[in-house]
Order: sequence, then C-alpha cells, then structure tokens
Amino acid sequence: MSSLRADLSIAVGGLNLETPVVIASGVWPYDPALWSPERLEGVGALCTKAVSLHPREGNRGVRVWETSCGMLNSIGLQNSGVRGFLKNALPVVRNSGRPFLVNLVMESARDVQENLAVLRDAPGGTEAVELNISCPNVDGDGMAWGISPESAARAVAIARSAWKGSLWVKLTPQAPDLPAVAKAAESEGADALVCGNTWLGMAMDLKRKRPVFQRVAAGLSGPAVFPLALRTVWQVCGAVSIPVVGCGGVARWEDAAAMILAGASAVEVGSALFADFDLPRKIADGLADYLTEAGVSNLAGLVALGRK
Amino acid sequence: MSCGGSPQDYAAAVLGHRSLGDGSGLFAVRCEEIASCAEPGQFVMVRPGTGYDPFLGRPLAVADAAGDVFKMIYRVVGRGTALLASKRQGDPVTVRGPIGRGFFSARGEKPLPRKVILAGGSVGAAPLLFAARRLGLSRVEKTVMGVAGKGWEGFAEWLKEAFPGVDLYSDDGTAETKGTVLSGLPDFLPAETELWACGPQGMLRAVAEKYPRDGHRIMAALESRMACGVGGCLGCVIPTVSGNRRVCVDGPVFTAEEVKWNELSSC
Repeated sequence: MSSLRADLSIAVGGLNLETPVVIASGVWPYDPALWSPERLEGVGALCTKAVSLHPREGNRGVRVWETSCGMLNSIGLQNSGVRGFLKNALPVVRNSGRPFLVNLVMESARDVQENLAVLRDAPGGTEAVELNISCPNVDGDGMAWGISPESAARAVAIARSAWKGSLWVKLTPQAPDLPAVAKAAESEGADALVCGNTWLGMAMDLKRKRPVFQRVAAGLSGPAVFPLALRTVWQVCGAVSIPVVGCGGVARWEDAAAMILAGASAVEVGSALFADFDLPRKIADGLADYLTEAGVSNLAGLVALGRK
Repeated sequence: MSCGGSPQDYAAAVLGHRSLGDGSGLFAVRCEEIASCAEPGQFVMVRPGTGYDPFLGRPLAVADAAGDVFKMIYRVVGRGTALLASKRQGDPVTVRGPIGRGFFSARGEKPLPRKVILAGGSVGAAPLLFAARRLGLSRVEKTVMGVAGKGWEGFAEWLKEAFPGVDLYSDDGTAETKGTVLSGLPDFLPAETELWACGPQGMLRAVAEKYPRDGHRIMAALESRMACGVGGCLGCVIPTVSGNRRVCVDGPVFTAEEVKWNELSSC
C-alpha cells in the first residue's frame, strides 16, 4: 500500500480493513496464485463464494449472459458445502493475509445453525460471516428471507444465536421496503449490512425463442445497476446506525467515493473484477487522491459527508 | 519468460489484421507473456479496449504463437466481436491469458500419440492449426474441416491455405464437398491414433458418439459462455463424469469420455 497517500483504513462491523475495498462473494476463484499479496493490492477484505451446509451443484443451462454494461448470472450457489470449503478453500483464503468473510447461504433455520457450528468449531476459526438473506426461505413459502422485515429479523436472529463473531448481513434489493428490512436486521444484532445483492432480471434468446435461463429470472450486476445500488445505500444508511457496505455496480473509484459520501463505510466490488483484476488498487489509489484533494485526512471523514 | 501460474491481464497492441471474408478474420497481437507460454487448445480473453464496453472479454483460442506474437481467429457474432473486427494495426487491446488446459497438458503424463486426426468446425479450426504446427506434419494423419456453407467462402479458402491437404466440407456444398465433418471421418479410429476436435457443441457430440468405445482417444476443445476466464464465476461449467467442471480452467480440452454430452446445455 506504499502508493497510497492518505489513510484509507476503516473499521467495519468487527473487521479492521486497510482499504474500504472488499471483494464481493462469487467472483474470486480459489486459485492460490490469485490470493497472493501482489494480486490483491488495494483489497481490504475478501468475501468467499457462497457456502452452504451441503454441497450444491448449482443451476443447469446457461449461467451467464452479457447485458448492456452488465451481466446476468444464474449460477445457483454451486459450492462444495461447508466441510469441503474448510478442507479445500479455507487454507487458500487464509494465505491471503487479508481479513475475510465467509458468505453463508441462509438456508433453513436448522441448516444455517449447523453450518455456523461447523465454521465456529473449525481449527483456526473464522472471524466473520456474511449472511446472504437473498436465498429462498425453504422453511417458509419460498420467498427470500430478506424480502420482509419479519423474515429478515428471524434469519438474523437465527444466525446471531449461533454465531458470536462478526456478522454482516447481505440484503436483497428486491425487498419492497429495504430500510425496514435493514432496521430489522440491525435490531437482531447484525454488525454491518451489505447493501445489496444482484437485481432480478431476465433475458430472451431470440434464436430459441425462449428465456435464456432455465429459471427465467437471473441476477443482474455490473455498472448498469450502480445508480440503483447507490439509491438503496442512501436509503439504508439513513435508516440504521450500524456500518453499511455498498455493493452493486462499483466499477470505478468514483463509484466507491459516491457510495461512501452517501454513508457507506466500505464497498464491495463484484462483476467489474471480471473485466479488470486490478480494479481494487485503482479504487484505492483514486480514493486516496480524492481524500488528499478534498483535504480530508482519513476515510472515516468521508463517510456520509454527502448527507451533511 | 517463465510460464505457469494464473493468467494475467496485459495491455497489448494489434500487430496485424487479415480479413478472411464474410465477418471472419485473423489478427496477430504482440504480447510476449502470452505468446511465449501458450499451448494449443488454450485461449485468451480479449477486450477491444480498456473500458466496460463490452462488459466481458471474449474467449478466443490461440491459433498460433511464436516469439512475442500470437494469433487468433474470430467470427463476428455480436457487438464484442464486431468491435474486435474493427481493430487495425497499432490499436490497443486487453488480453488475459493464456488460459486453460490445452491439448498437450490435458493428456497428463500420456505420451503423444503416433498419429492424430484433426477435426474442426468453423472457427474451431484455430486451436487445431496451432496443434498441427506443434505436432509436426508427420503426426497428422488427416485433417477434416467443416463450415456452414454460403457466407463462409472466404474462410473456407483460408482453411485450404492453412491446412495443406485438408478435406473440406460444407453443409450446402459451396466449399468443396457437401456434408459435415462427420462425413470425412473414418468409420473406426485407427490404432495408435487420437482424434483432436474443436468446433460447435453439436459437432463435438456427434464425433464423440461416432466412436463410443474410443472416448479416451478423443480430445475435444469445448466452448462455453464465461465471464472471468479464471475459474471464479462458475459460469462456464459443464457436466462431466466427475461432476461439474469449469471449461475455462479445468478445460477447455477434455477427453470425450469425460463429458456428459447428453446433459450439455444446447444454448
């Protein structure tokens, strides 16, 4: 980080980040070479791919589809289960030397508690969990846990009772009243909120004259969603007092600065990394220059400045 | 230049661009890091510039590599390839690679076969051209290439130039013989011979099904939609006998017997 000219460090929900740039869940492979310090310049923390209690094969058919300035994905949370994660991926993750969060699939109450117990009891432990409440509530009616304040509160309460470490909760922008969901998550003990996840969209295959994806709807991400994500960050930051991590379409340092001015303490970068491995360093450098030019001595001084 | 490790992004420049007619072309890029390490069957994620338009890179197979220059073949199918097609000498491109398991490394410790039959469909000819150069003429038993037909005349002419002695097929007979790649393949795979194939998924499946007992001797380079090209997005997985495998880093070259052809997505 020698190239940085200002203090970008910030504490977020129990983690101390050297920069506010977090690699979002679902984008970074467990290739040891990609977890080396030189490949992670500018990265403050990393979030793992989604981990469920049992292995999941993910969805069949087309899984990714490019859109105008973005992409749709229907991966379906493919992963080797928490035990496979501990055996094969966690050693790689730890080697990065960076703080990390395990992105946890919010499954049934029983499954998520068992998942957290396995993580908690793992040798060496895990500092932080990012609870993904965008998944369907299989205990309920299939609606995502994060859609309503009531189900979100229940999800966070279930996780909080089984997990004493840092707990970030990743919200879904599909919630009709996102600030209310955010408040519910805060009231049940979330340490930070990630705002948010992909936006539901779809694509039509003109050759086959059918929807592209087997599940029809898929998650939209990329620069196309940034203005939508920024608006939700603004709304949620106005509703809660715990740290908020902006997520959605961040592809330039200016996007990160905008989210931080809106109240975010950090930002997650996702699909823009597919286009540019070096994006975290560029964001960190850009933020450092911006702080210097603005005469703000550290990143915390920039958080929510746009609301004052 | 040492090879191995994970692929990286490089800012590079187009060294030359040759139209092959009808929206096809071959372009050469100067990038020593990729050219010196690339293996036949590996590919490169190419971006026509440095911004987010198009958002994702385009996976293109390496068609040849020597010194500090490598070549790729494209066919315009959408905005990304159209932008690539507009590139001229000296224009910047971003290239990520070399990526994946090629025809040689996919074999593991197995020695090279005495003879190889090369079977390619349309731009699937690219990695086979590179493979033919690396194998040497003496090992190439037969080369069979197929194109759709009308609209591919220029590409067909280039195939005849690039692969001396190629048996060329087109669906409508506009390029040499009417028929498909399958028409040009022997009924049985000769002993001590492997078949290396690259082309549309339907062609690869048909090749695999033609030799049901010899799947271990068929090396197929697959294509798939992908976002990152480094194994992160899991967008390119295919079903195999050992579970989901990523085309980008577990492939793109697989033995035919590994792939569950009847479960592959048709899109």
